[in-house]
Amino acid sequence: MSAAPKTRVPFTRRDAALLALAGGGAALFLWRAGSGPAGGWSWSAILSFFVRRDEAGGGPLPGILLEGLRTTLALSAWSMVLALVLGAAVGLLAARPQGGARPRLLRRLCAGSFVELLRNTPPLVLAFLFYFFVGDQLLAALGVEEAARALPRGGQRLLAALAAPPARLVAFASAVLTLALYEAAYIAEIVRAGVESVERGQWEAAYALGLSPRQRLARVILPQALRRSVPALAGQFISTVKDSSIVSVISIPELTFQAMEIMAGTQRTYEIWLTVFACYLLLCLALSLASRRLERRLSAGGRR
Amino acid sequence: MAFQADRCDPARAEAKVLGGVIVEARGLRKTFAGGIEALRGVSLAVRQGEVVVVVGPSGSGKSTLLRCLCGLETPDAGEVVTDGARLPGSRRDRDRIRTETGMVFQHFNLFPHLTALANVTLAPRLARGLPADRAEAEARALLGRVGLKDKTGAYPAELSGGQQQRVAIARALAMRPKVMLFDEATSALDPEMIGEVLEVMRGLAAEGMTMVVVTHEMGFAREAGDRVLFMDQGRIEEEAGAAEFFLSPRGERARRFLSRML
Repeated sequence: MSAAPKTRVPFTRRDAALLALAGGGAALFLWRAGSGPAGGWSWSAILSFFVRRDEAGGGPLPGILLEGLRTTLALSAWSMVLALVLGAAVGLLAARPQGGARPRLLRRLCAGSFVELLRNTPPLVLAFLFYFFVGDQLLAALGVEEAARALPRGGQRLLAALAAPPARLVAFASAVLTLALYEAAYIAEIVRAGVESVERGQWEAAYALGLSPRQRLARVILPQALRRSVPALAGQFISTVKDSSIVSVISIPELTFQAMEIMAGTQRTYEIWLTVFACYLLLCLALSLASRRLERRLSAGGRR
Repeated sequence: MAFQADRCDPARAEAKVLGGVIVEARGLRKTFAGGIEALRGVSLAVRQGEVVVVVGPSGSGKSTLLRCLCGLETPDAGEVVTDGARLPGSRRDRDRIRTETGMVFQHFNLFPHLTALANVTLAPRLARGLPADRAEAEARALLGRVGLKDKTGAYPAELSGGQQQRVAIARALAMRPKVMLFDEATSALDPEMIGEVLEVMRGLAAEGMTMVVVTHEMGFAREAGDRVLFMDQGRIEEEAGAAEFFLSPRGERARRFLSRML
């Protein structure tokens, strides 16, 4: 690892002026926001939306925003996993290895229409579409909700913690499907580009050594392709977290939806949205940081 | 040219015992997209233990010939028979030729995400089904043989070109091939590293490995080669014992080629 050379950056008078300008702007914004129709900042109420006291006299319980954060996390995690599997499959279907033949027409058609259909439509529309078609029709016909209700209490509680309680499971599933498919279209392109970036000689060496097609892909090509795709994939994962706010329109009680609910009840507009802003920022920053570390770890080992 | 005469020992060819034909190519033709005729009817038979050196100007079809021998290219016409397995042929035959033919590439093509040791053990474990500990023991022995005993844990990017090519040779040997093909194995190397790779190749030849070597290293061809094929424009123009070829090439084109190379 080569450390970036440290250069001293002088702090000039112009920097001081710009800093003062930015600070003044922020102060003005906070003052204006604080003297709105609701009058004065009221941050203490926000805390109670994260942790509330049990009215029956028990310990602290998760508040409505914390519940929203949990749902956002569950939604994003399921969508990411599903999107990665689906996206990798579609990407491999469409990939044309260097020096290899173009994939068959059927494969290209399937992968191409998957990517283009999902990439060229707004995710908001997809959310409605999947909610009404897949959720209301398909999953209802399959009896997903009844199956979830038939689970023992422990199973139901686990399901609620990892996904959603039975009553909301169908909506949750269609939300995951929406996000997963939408992100998978982009991941497919990332994986395809990664596979196509691996040099022809790698395929040839693996072939000449007698590896089977599957072994060539899994043991030689994919490890290199995925390593090169880590930054792009991390970006897509961060997008998934942010895009998960879209499914608030189908009443998934995730962070954004919960914020809208609280806002309707309390009119504490600025406090709530600044809080939600900070929550998303922290979540995505953490992911971003993790991907940087992963990238550094990978490049410390085998380099290209 | 007296120095040439005493460098190629005429007794050596007789002293080396060659086995039966192990690799045979018959009437290979290959035209690439764009109309370039790389091979225009090439036939060749390599006997067990023989070192055949293929020389010729660039674009003469040498590399395409090697790539046909190991199954990386499918000829438009003609066939390759290696130890009874036929190309073009069934999948079984193709797989047998792939595993029984070791290929060393000009640009090494080591797997950059694996250590030298893992590069060598990968194919024996996956394609030969060797258990990990045995594959590792064999790989360590092979890496020792090419002089890289202390580099087993290094990644390709941490090795010099010559070291990478030696790992690549060990990797090919790990499949216990019946024949080794070298496709300009030293052409991408800095001059000071060519020697260490040629040294390994000479050692292999001395141990009786069957080899087909495409090279521009005329010194190696003369010393280690049993037979030299001179290729030009997709055909084998001349075929002779190594000593004979370098002393008195028959054709005009071979003579011109040699005068440029030596």
